[in-house]
Amino acid sequence: MFDVHTPEIGGTVSIQKPVFNDLLARLREAGFETLGPRVKDGTLVYEAIDTLADLPRGYSAELEAGRYRLVRPGHDRYFDVISGQSSWKQFLFPPRLDLFAMQKIGRSWEVQKPEPDQHNFAFIGVRGCDLAAIQVQDKAFIREDFHDPIYLARRERVFILAVDCLRPGATCFCASMGTGPRPKGGFDLRLTELDGVFLITIGSELGRRMMAGLPYEAASAFVMSSAERGIEQAAQSMGRELDTSDLPDLILNNLDADQWDDVAKRCLSCGNCTQACPTCFCWDATDQLDLTGTKTKRVRVWDSCFNPDYSYQAGGNTRPNIRSRYRQWLSHKLGTWVQQYGTFGCVGCGRCIVWCPAGIDLTKEIPALRKETVK
Amino acid sequence: MSTMTITRPAAVHADSLLEPTWAEIVEITPEVEGVSTFWFKFVDPDLQSSFSFRPGQFNMVYVPGVGEAAISISSDPEDKAKIGHSIRFVGNVTRAVSRLKVGDVVGLRGPFGSAWPLDDIEGKDIVLAAGGIGLPPLRPVIYRILHNREKYGKVTIVYGARTPSELMYRDEYDSWKQAGIDLQLTVDRADAEWTGRVGVVPMWFYGFRVDARRTAVLTCGPEIMIRFVIYEALARRIPPESIHVSLERNMKCGQGSCGHCQVGPYFICKDGPVFRFDALQPYFNVEEF
Amino acid sequence: MDTVEEITAELQKIPWFQELKQEHVQKLASISKIRRVKAGEVIFREGDTHESVYIVLEGRVGLEMFVPHRGKVRFYTAEPWEVFGWSSVTPNVHLRTAGATAVLDGAVLRIDAEKLSQACDEDHTLGYLVMRRLAHVVAGRLLVTRLQLLDMFANPETKNV
Repeated sequence: MFDVHTPEIGGTVSIQKPVFNDLLARLREAGFETLGPRVKDGTLVYEAIDTLADLPRGYSAELEAGRYRLVRPGHDRYFDVISGQSSWKQFLFPPRLDLFAMQKIGRSWEVQKPEPDQHNFAFIGVRGCDLAAIQVQDKAFIREDFHDPIYLARRERVFILAVDCLRPGATCFCASMGTGPRPKGGFDLRLTELDGVFLITIGSELGRRMMAGLPYEAASAFVMSSAERGIEQAAQSMGRELDTSDLPDLILNNLDADQWDDVAKRCLSCGNCTQACPTCFCWDATDQLDLTGTKTKRVRVWDSCFNPDYSYQAGGNTRPNIRSRYRQWLSHKLGTWVQQYGTFGCVGCGRCIVWCPAGIDLTKEIPALRKETVK
Repeated sequence: MSTMTITRPAAVHADSLLEPTWAEIVEITPEVEGVSTFWFKFVDPDLQSSFSFRPGQFNMVYVPGVGEAAISISSDPEDKAKIGHSIRFVGNVTRAVSRLKVGDVVGLRGPFGSAWPLDDIEGKDIVLAAGGIGLPPLRPVIYRILHNREKYGKVTIVYGARTPSELMYRDEYDSWKQAGIDLQLTVDRADAEWTGRVGVVPMWFYGFRVDARRTAVLTCGPEIMIRFVIYEALARRIPPESIHVSLERNMKCGQGSCGHCQVGPYFICKDGPVFRFDALQPYFNVEEF
Repeated sequence: MDTVEEITAELQKIPWFQELKQEHVQKLASISKIRRVKAGEVIFREGDTHESVYIVLEGRVGLEMFVPHRGKVRFYTAEPWEVFGWSSVTPNVHLRTAGATAVLDGAVLRIDAEKLSQACDEDHTLGYLVMRRLAHVVAGRLLVTRLQLLDMFANPETKNV
């Protein structure tokens, strides 16, 4: 018998998979832009979705250092594909954002502010690593002394439907970083995909209201333990692992190690890792002056510490080579981030490993550093 | 998700990211070759009267169409009529500023950053060690000392430049000396008309007897000069906690968000630019960090 | 003329001399003279054969080199108790590489270099102390020179940011 009452926060219910489309429709009616995984150009992207039909049903991803392939191994699940190079950061922290425009009037300038940001995003299918990444970025963009107004506006309104990851990839190590395979709190709803049903765990009042009145069943003990077993197995079958017990000191005490020279020979300073990484937050602001010199636009764009001009100032460049730039990236991500924000910057998603054209793997760089320096 | 409570900071500048507040150039004072002091006044008179900064802080100076540059505020904090920035013309933005005239309008955002610890060093002997364009960020400290001379012990300014013609703020030296400040100038090289010292700023410590327990060193200038000033100060047993340094890095936002100015765990714009040396010690001498 | 006692008294004001034994101080005083100088007075010229090493007692002494098309460039000033003209104590250099001019009125101590060498040869303890002191002076001077060489106050070259 279907229960049409409202589920409790913290409770888990089970729905037939087509009911999910009703949930998506509800979200849209409430004014949310539903965004979720889609297959496009041979990879997985996050774009607008309307129904389950838009999801990558039947797909999985094969991951390795420097390699990402979509495959169809014969299952019919919707949420199996490990993320591609995109993450959810592009929505809260857009790669390109017009800040304001200006018009010269006499010797002064008149500012034309953009329209207030209206986006209400619903993120459908946020894996544990990516949810943790959003929470890591929250600490960078929303502080007591300063906040990014666009990030804050979008973040306050975003609806998060997280998803359990039951089949981690070869480059995944969320278990080592404590961020998965099951998303920890901070979601409105959490979904576990089983063979016949979706399990939905309620995470917030908003999630509860979205589920209210939809046809669901209480989740039986059998399906609950099935899900638990799936999570345990997933945690045991991570493709990579990272021992963080001696971080950040291992890095910060060995800034002159030979290992930095070694990785510098392989790294191209292309910055793919910083683009793919869901926690990297560096940005730049540029002016776009028109030909008449009377109209200009100030634009915020993503930047990367691998950019050769990143550390340039009058008098020279404080990080003039790849060795110093790679060291900056890693010593920030797994090192100084802790002092700045109280967590590691890395969530174990493995994107930097997959999308590095040189196949540089930080789960191997750290042990190499440890081997060189720990006697 | 549930809404979060955010304490929005009370700030002079606008709420939107990077939006500047407008200030008019009211005066330009050429200082030495390639450096002029620009005097600004906010277009909004209420903003001008409510603007206040602490010595060591900086503003982001914005030339629309070109970009922003972080420039230390080098005027007297007690002067509420205008705000002075001594600017060296050395990059795209500063060179664009050099082409502006009195009456032109720029954007200002700030004040940002940490300040020289003037309260902590009351009662102490103070050494201000500055080189070249490193003197402007220390000038507000000099003003504070001039206005409150009795609060500080022996005050020495060691200031170096390339040649005598590049020494800045020369017409203020007499007023500093009259206030009981020991002014030690030095240049890298000179001609026969210069009767002052020829040598480098750190060298001054050789001949100086300091009471390490009651001396504070405040230094700003090229990093290599800072490095040797610190070396000499430490050699005279001045503790790292009594040495304060102002650093400079590429800054884009001034608010600890864009990431550019990081040195180790610190954002120079937010945790600095003034640092106590013991906080910098683990990272300061790591090459290219 | 200053007597050995007067010179000894002057020497004992200088910190380094306070570490020496009395007999060494007297020996050095016996081979030294005090010379008063006026601002602008030349103490020695570039190219002179050198016979003395100097210590500034009062005032300031500028060290200069003549550079064609630029004239006399002063690259160092020695303050009270600093040594200059030390190259006369090293065995191989024969001519002054720079000139020394008094910048302010003052006084310098002039030590006969040949007699100093002899004294060091005869008394190796004194010789060791003198050479050690000189090594310290030269090291400090070298560091200063290197920092000057770096030209750290120059307006840096720019490129499009």
